[in-house]
Amino acid sequence: MLFEVRGLSKRFGQIAALSDVSFQVREGEVLGLIGPNGAGKSTLFECLAGVLPSDRGTILTGGKPVQAGARAELLFYVPDAIAPWPAQRVGWALDYVIGYFRGRAPLRDEVVDQLDLRPLLDQPIGTLSKGQRKRVLLAIGLLSPQRALLIDEPFEGLDLRQGRDIAAALRAHAARRRTLFLSIHQIGDAARICDRFVLLSGGRVRGEGTVEELASLAAARDGSKAYRDLEEVFLALT
Amino acid sequence: MRLRSSPFVWLAGKEWRELLVSKSWWILLAAMGPLVGVSFIGAVRTYAEVSGWNGTAAGVGEALSPLIGVWAPTFSACELAAVFLLPFVAIRLIAGDRQSGALKLELQQGMSAFARIAVKALILLAGWLVAMLPPVSAILLWKSYGGVAYAPELTTLIIGHLLNAGLTIALAAAMASLTEHPSTAAILTLSFTVGTWIVNFLAAVQGGWWERAAGYTPTAMVAEFQHGLVRLDTVLIAVVLILAGLALAALWMRLGVAVSRRVRESIVCGLAAAAVIIGCTFGTASWDTSENRSNSFPEADEQVLRQIHAPLRIEAHLAPEDPRRLDLEHHALSKLRRIIPGIEVQYVSATSIGLFEQTSAHYGEIWYYLGGQKTMSRMTTAEGVLEAIYSLAGVTPPRESDEAIFRGHPLAVSPRGAGVIFYALWPTLIVAAGFLVRRNL
Repeated sequence: MLFEVRGLSKRFGQIAALSDVSFQVREGEVLGLIGPNGAGKSTLFECLAGVLPSDRGTILTGGKPVQAGARAELLFYVPDAIAPWPAQRVGWALDYVIGYFRGRAPLRDEVVDQLDLRPLLDQPIGTLSKGQRKRVLLAIGLLSPQRALLIDEPFEGLDLRQGRDIAAALRAHAARRRTLFLSIHQIGDAARICDRFVLLSGGRVRGEGTVEELASLAAARDGSKAYRDLEEVFLALT
Repeated sequence: MRLRSSPFVWLAGKEWRELLVSKSWWILLAAMGPLVGVSFIGAVRTYAEVSGWNGTAAGVGEALSPLIGVWAPTFSACELAAVFLLPFVAIRLIAGDRQSGALKLELQQGMSAFARIAVKALILLAGWLVAMLPPVSAILLWKSYGGVAYAPELTTLIIGHLLNAGLTIALAAAMASLTEHPSTAAILTLSFTVGTWIVNFLAAVQGGWWERAAGYTPTAMVAEFQHGLVRLDTVLIAVVLILAGLALAALWMRLGVAVSRRVRESIVCGLAAAAVIIGCTFGTASWDTSENRSNSFPEADEQVLRQIHAPLRIEAHLAPEDPRRLDLEHHALSKLRRIIPGIEVQYVSATSIGLFEQTSAHYGEIWYYLGGQKTMSRMTTAEGVLEAIYSLAGVTPPRESDEAIFRGHPLAVSPRGAGVIFYALWPTLIVAAGFLVRRNL
């Protein structure tokens, strides 16, 4: 196990965005955080990354709490729908990530090719389309040095072919023991790439495990029905 | 930049690039040319007129110092730019990361928020130094006309404007960090500046503590430096305010820290800054770097005054808005405080303008108390004040020496070439540089 989240809670005024969220993240796995819009997926990621304060809860590695300052060594979070350094060129931004975060310099060219960014290297980030920007954000994440990479909606804004290529690229990085934790609201996308899942709805974890484990959980809850795919399981548990 | 460079260097490089792509900075640079041009050309012409140019009556120019006649108005362009343009450059650099989402990425590096804000402040200060090139080039122009530039007073003036820019940067940084949107930060920054003007106004009308507080506003600070005066308390307070503003910006940049904790830490920061500022007000050292010693009595008088050790108290029956009170302050008491730091000055008045107190028998009286004796005078000039103190202390006034009198540096020239440089060459250069730099970054 790479790290464990225990009892994470976050309120925005009267609204409980996260309530006592607990789950485990295993080293080298592709873990999917799935849930409907407003489930609290982005809030969870931001709390884990330390860019949003949580009200309660801890992250543990080896049974010991990870202090806020040490999180930067453990995980890196790539938010959705941001356009960092919009006036700067893509190529410079990737170099900056490698230099500033002490990132994975040897992977630079490979990531650029995997995400088809070579034609965009001289483009300012602010001029890119939504899909192009998403690929740049994924590159930023893949070049970061942390063992765990949290990506919010990695397939948002990508077309079918790009989505498949990106999924393959992410799996290739996971095969090198990079732990990926992906927030996905499209169940089909999640089923295609993830090893295990955390189901989040209404700020609560409704289930955690592989499709089979979640199907068993759902079946145990209603006592009879046999669930075949993630979509049915998701609907049953949320 | 080499990939092996430290994160700090990478951050500095990134902030510099962000400054270079910032339109607000290029606009600030372009505006500095005409702003300095108007001030410098006007100042040189006036200076020439009082120096006897085109048959005008010479005489005043003999006592005219380039610091007051040329540099104070020329560098006032910096004050204008620091109030109305620099805040937008600073807010853009601080708030830009938050707006674009870059801050969420960069905060995960683990670098302290204080280091991050320090880097941004240093880059903004570097940007301001570039913006100060037009007034500095005016010095070269003045020298080319045959004018005299006295390095200590010019250095003081430049330091004053750097401190003023530092205050603006710190204030804008704090506001940009505290607020969600850059426009809110801009409004709050300008409101703060307007607030300091209100303090100055209240000081002029009501005197008392307002007067004391107004002595530490950016406007008052710059005015001191414009006269070649460096006061330890003013400099220390400016530095503390800069550090407090940047600390506040750093505290609120930490998005991952609970708001309640940030509020508590901000209060502690504010209280600590207030305590240090109160301590700084007891710093009495000051240095007059002006060539004409405009902030000092003649050296012979200062030597005599230093020999008076008994506590001196002055009670002036003058209202805050009475011009005689301004005369007394600027021509005598401000100089006296530098020599006798323990002097106690008390103003007595029933109204702010003093117009209806003129009929009062004691209005206009200035009472001097020294060593159990007292005397009264109505004179508000330096000579009148010194005369009263000398008679009370029973010391012989020093003999006036012609050698000690500042003769001035009259210069009757037209500001040739200045219009072309500041109105055409500098803006063209900035527009071209801005275009090329932004394209090639």
